[in-house]
Order: sequence, then structure tokens, then C-alpha cells
Amino acid sequence: MSEQRQPILPVRQALIRAGVALSGWVALSVTALPGGSPLRWAPVLLFVCFGPGLALLYPQPGAPGPGARLETAALAAPFGLSLAVLTATALFLVEAFSATAFLVSLAAFTTLVAALPGLPLPAATRGAVGRSRPRPGRRR
Amino acid sequence: MQQHVPVPVTGGAAGSGGTEPPEPGPPATAPRASSRLRRRAAPDPQLLLSWLPLLVAAALWGHALPHIGFRSMGEYGLLDRLPVTYYLSLLVLTAGFLATLRRAGTAPWWPALHCAALLTALKGVPAVLYDSERYPWASKHDAVIDHLLANGELRPSEGLSGNMSAYDQWPGFFTLNAGLVRAFGADGAATYLNWAPIVLGLLMMPVLILIYRTFSEDWRLVWTAVWIFQLANWVGQDYLAPQGLALLLHLAVLAVVLRHFVRPGSAGRLRSRAYLDPAAAAVPPPTGTRQRAVCVVVLVPVLVAVNAVHQLTPVMLCATLLALNLTRRYRNPGLLVVAGLLMLAWDLTMGRPLFTETLGTLRESLGEITRNSRAGYAGQLTGAGPELAGRANVVMVLAVAALAGTALLLRRRLVHSALPLLLASAAPVPLFVVNDYGGEMLFRVYLFALPGAAFFAAAALVPAAGGSGAHRVRPAVRRISAVALPVSLVALLAGFMPSYYGKEQMNYTPPAETALVTRAIDRAPDGALILATTGSFPRALHRYDELEHWFFAEQELPENVAMLKDPAHYLATRLPPDATAYVILTRTQDVYTAGEGLLPPGGFAGLTRDLGASPLFRVVERTGHGVVLRYVGP
Repeated sequence: MSEQRQPILPVRQALIRAGVALSGWVALSVTALPGGSPLRWAPVLLFVCFGPGLALLYPQPGAPGPGARLETAALAAPFGLSLAVLTATALFLVEAFSATAFLVSLAAFTTLVAALPGLPLPAATRGAVGRSRPRPGRRR
Repeated sequence: MQQHVPVPVTGGAAGSGGTEPPEPGPPATAPRASSRLRRRAAPDPQLLLSWLPLLVAAALWGHALPHIGFRSMGEYGLLDRLPVTYYLSLLVLTAGFLATLRRAGTAPWWPALHCAALLTALKGVPAVLYDSERYPWASKHDAVIDHLLANGELRPSEGLSGNMSAYDQWPGFFTLNAGLVRAFGADGAATYLNWAPIVLGLLMMPVLILIYRTFSEDWRLVWTAVWIFQLANWVGQDYLAPQGLALLLHLAVLAVVLRHFVRPGSAGRLRSRAYLDPAAAAVPPPTGTRQRAVCVVVLVPVLVAVNAVHQLTPVMLCATLLALNLTRRYRNPGLLVVAGLLMLAWDLTMGRPLFTETLGTLRESLGEITRNSRAGYAGQLTGAGPELAGRANVVMVLAVAALAGTALLLRRRLVHSALPLLLASAAPVPLFVVNDYGGEMLFRVYLFALPGAAFFAAAALVPAAGGSGAHRVRPAVRRISAVALPVSLVALLAGFMPSYYGKEQMNYTPPAETALVTRAIDRAPDGALILATTGSFPRALHRYDELEHWFFAEQELPENVAMLKDPAHYLATRLPPDATAYVILTRTQDVYTAGEGLLPPGGFAGLTRDLGASPLFRVVERTGHGVVLRYVGP
């Protein structure tokens, strides 16, 4: 949970984005495995908890501000679970609930937003008002 | 236990500072190369102190597990069934945590691992060991998930008995779990519900850290606050229940508000290092109106989800946002209005039936502070274990409040900069004036106040690091805190155990009892009435949308004493004519009604005997775990 600001290489960023985008489809594919298997529930749980939230919050536009990584790590689950709650509730309201519909909706959303910049939370980026320019970070 | 004098650490640039964390490794005076050589030659003692306690604690905990006699719990619950090695593992973890605090700024993963280990060690025992659902209320929520999966739709206006339609009116947590159950390919939430406290605790930890880092740059203070939160979270609201998820979302909203909704020009001297407490973080960078408006839009899905999940949390959230509006720093009426409108919109649409009913009863409950802050339905805790748990609960509340109060007196500059957190913690307290929330309001207010209280309690125990001039911490204070910190953490640990596990006999239900109840309820025709002394037994609400319920002993003790004089007549005269009614009396009900003081000693046995002997009732099934009777009428 180091708070040092380090520029993330575009290749690494692209790989992370691709991983997040694919995570939903992986979760969907493992539902073909027998029920109760850890190979089934673990990817599903990880995706529902973190997939949509990470896609929403990562990466931030511009260089990440102080605490941005901690913020992404902390808020990924609440944001992701909020979306999962809304998706599941909406599916029940329109009487179209099924595990496939639930996971496909979340996976499609995750894939879409993983291609976009992260949510513009201002204090975690350079955009906050009156903020002094970040000092050049020391690289390790 | 080891006692470590806290070493000044204010590492990390997160929060607001912009200062780089101190370089880990050797002191600046030592040549780097020779230090590397030394490190190769001998293991780093600090590193050893970091991982060895984890390893030892895990070994002790693992060794203790097979020796925990949870099936033979007596009146002290799990307390006297946990072997010494279990308690030793907790002490070793505490010592290890204190050791890792020394390097909290440069190696935050070690305290993080210790905090996660503490959570698992404290709350993982039932998850690993129990062969049935822990806590009857969790099995009630399992029944709600089954109900949604069976129906495939939401029926908020169905008007089920016992206000069970409320779960269709605030269904978010249950629809989410329905999705998980189906996606896991599980038979029901029962397969994983005992793990809920661990999962929710792990998800909540980074959110707490984020909030605490907003107000402190001192990692020792942050981790101590997280540790205290774990120990003080005995209140048992983190089982498979909407409020656990709702609290997580509530804290996430609070974290975003605290970090991204600072008004320009409001920080004043709180940006000056000369004024701030050495442990305090400067106020986060301010944001313009447009940026805050964007943040409101970003928060809308979380706010809607909070409303979808739980009826009380949006009220707590609005109270918190209102309290934050009292400060110049966080005066954001727009966000408060949006949160209020979303709550109102949900209450007037999906939640309309219960919302209007609650409004109707508000006139009675408004201002009844003593009654609203009472725990439970009625009765006094009875028996050695429950009474110990009750006393421990009170002592824990007072201990956390006393520690937090000490910080309010001694760390006034830290309190000034962290005032929004203090207000957020105090905001739910006025809800005592409004409603008793079915005897649960006390626990909910405590739960929502706890994140802030834990921060200030930690501030009382971890003195400011490296202060000079006006901020200089006297050596005597450091010496006192070097003793007070470990003593307090061990004392809180000692308080947690009876608070959380003192009434565990009520929470563990043998699978055979669950099977008995399931058979009885499956046997009942649609529309039948299920009678039991209390709803606190496993699968009490299985098929709840097809049956009616009457938990006839959930009332004041004097009325129950009157009922016990002739229970068969008491029940028969109150049943509707031609009712198809079943009475289910189980061991867990016996434990619960005795422990919560709903029935006098021997009352449950007498009730079972009298109903069994009455010609008005016929025994359908009797096992060692309970009896099922059918009402046959006169």
C-alpha cells in the first residue's frame, strides 16, 4: 500500500485494463463448472466484488495523485458491489433474473468502462482547485 | 507480552502531505553497502518480528481449532470451550502487531496482515468449524434469498405477515446474494453465510484506512485505529445481513465526501504544519463547484444502492451529511439534497408500505429516548454467560468512549482537523429520539459511531511522533503510552471475547434441529400458522411467504408468566377459529428465551410439558432437539 506516485507504463496499464475487461467473461465461463467448486465461486466472487469497481476507478486520467492507489483499492469493492446490487435488483424488477443475465450485464459493463478513463475523482488527480503541482516523485 | 515503545513514524505521502515516506532500511549514518552485507549475514530482526508472530499465531490457532467443543457449549457459550492455545494465538498476534507498528510507515503490509489475521482469528472460528448456519437471523436472511429465487420477482406490496414484505421493499442485499448463489452454483446462501463477517471485514478495512489516512499521516495511528475497530466491532452486525453491506457503502460515500468535497478557502490554518498536530494530515485539496457536482453524479449509484439495500442506513447517511454541513469545510447542501431526495424517492415507491406504517407509529415513539435505546424486545439477560456478555458490552462501549474522550481532551489540534470524522460519528446518536428500530437502534447507532470512535481511541493511545516546540510530547507521556497501548489492546481483546462469544449458545444450532424445523414447516399446508416462543431458531422463516407466524413469547415477562399458567388455553383462545396451526419448540428457542429473560427459569420446559399433555395439541414429532405439535382444537 505504498503511497509513492509512480508513472505506470502504458503496456502495463493496457494489460491491467485487458485483465479487468476479461475478468467478467472468465467469471461467466467458470459457471459451466460444477456448483460449489472453488474454481467456480472464487473467480465469480472476485469479479463481482472488484471487477466493475476497478474498471470504473482505474486508471485515473493524468498522473495519480497522493493516495490515489489506496483510494482505488478501497473504493473498488463498494462501487462494484453497488453496481451488482443495482443490476440484480433491476433484473428482478423486470422479472429477467438469472445468473447468466446477472454476470453478462456486469461483464459487459466492465468491458465497456475498462476501455475508458477512470472516474474523475478530483482530489486524487491533478485537477483539484488550488492544488500545488505535485513534486517529482522519487523513483525506486 | 512484548511491550514496544512506539517509534516516531509519520511515513507515507498519502492523504495530502506530499512528503515522501522515509526510506526503509538502515539509519542514514550507516553506510548502505555495509548494511547490505550485514543483512545478508544475519536475518533482519525487525523482519523476523514481523512474520514470526503471524506464523506462531497461525500455528496456535490451527492447533486450537480441533479442540474447540462447540457442540457441547454451556451457559458461557464458546468462552470456556476455546482452548488456551486459541487465546495465546490472539496474544501473539497482538504482540506481533505492536512490533510491526514500529515500521508502520515504511512497511504497512505487516500491520495490514496482522489486522486481517486478527479479523480471521476472532471471527473465523464459526466459519471454519460450524456444521450449520450460525445465528438464526442469518438463516432468516437465507430464507429471504430462497423466496426471491423461487419467485423471480419482487413483491413489495404483498403484505406478508411479520412485515416480511419489507425485504422485498429493500431487496438489494438479497438480490445480490441471489445472483451470487446462482453464479456459485450453490444450493443456497447457507453454504457461505458463516464467512460473511470475514469477507465484509476484509472489504471494510481499506475503506477505514482511506478515511483514517484523510485525517492522519501517522500510519501507527491509522493501523491502531483499524485494530481497535476490529476489537470494538463485537456488536455482531456483520453477519449475512443488509446492514453490513450498507455500512460498507455508507463508509465509501463518507470517504469520497471527506476527500473530494472540501470547499475552496475553508481550510485556513489547517494547512499549516505549524498549527497541525504532528500526526494530522493537512486538509485534502479543495474542489470547485463543477468538480463536486461531478462527484455527486459519481456517487449516485452508490447512494441508490444504499437505499436499495437497507432502510435505516440512508437515514444515518443523511444525518451524517447534515452533520458535515455544519462545518465550513464540507458545506455541500447539494449532495445532502440529492441523498435526501433519493431516499425519499425510494421510500415513497419501493418502500412505501413500511415507510407509511413507520410514519404512523412515529408519534408514539418520538421522544421515547429510554425506550428507543433499549436493546432487544423485552426482558433482562439471564444466566451467567448472557449476563457476562451484557456487562462486557457495556464496558466495551464505555472503554471505547473513554479512550475517544481522552483524545478529545489531549489531542485538541488533531480533533480540530478531524472534526468532520467526530461529527460523522456523533450524527446517528439523535436517532434515539425517533424510533427503537425493533430493539436494534442501540446496536446500529454504536456501529455507525464506531469508525470515528476507533480513530480517536487510537489517537489517545498513540502519541504524536516527532513533535517539537508546542507539539513536543513529554517523555513521560511516551512512557505512559508505551504501557497504555498494549494494555488497552489486550483489555479490549478481553472485552471482545465475552461480548461476541458469550451468548454463542444461542447462535449455534445443531443440524438435527434445523432438519426437524425444516420437516415441520415443509409438512404445513399453505396458509397454516406457525407458532413458536421466538423467531430466533434456525429456518424459522422457511417458506415464510406461504405461512403465517406468531412468536408468542416475544413480549414482556409478566405477560409470559401469565401465559405459562395455562399455555394451551392461552394459545387456543387467541388462535383464529378453524386455524391450521403448528407449534415448534426447539432447543435454540429454550436457550434464547432463557438467556434473553423472555421466560423465567424452567418456563420453556414447563411450556413444552404442558402443551404436550394438553388435549388441544397433538405431538407430531419429538426428537432430542425439540418437539412439533399440531393444534387439534377442543
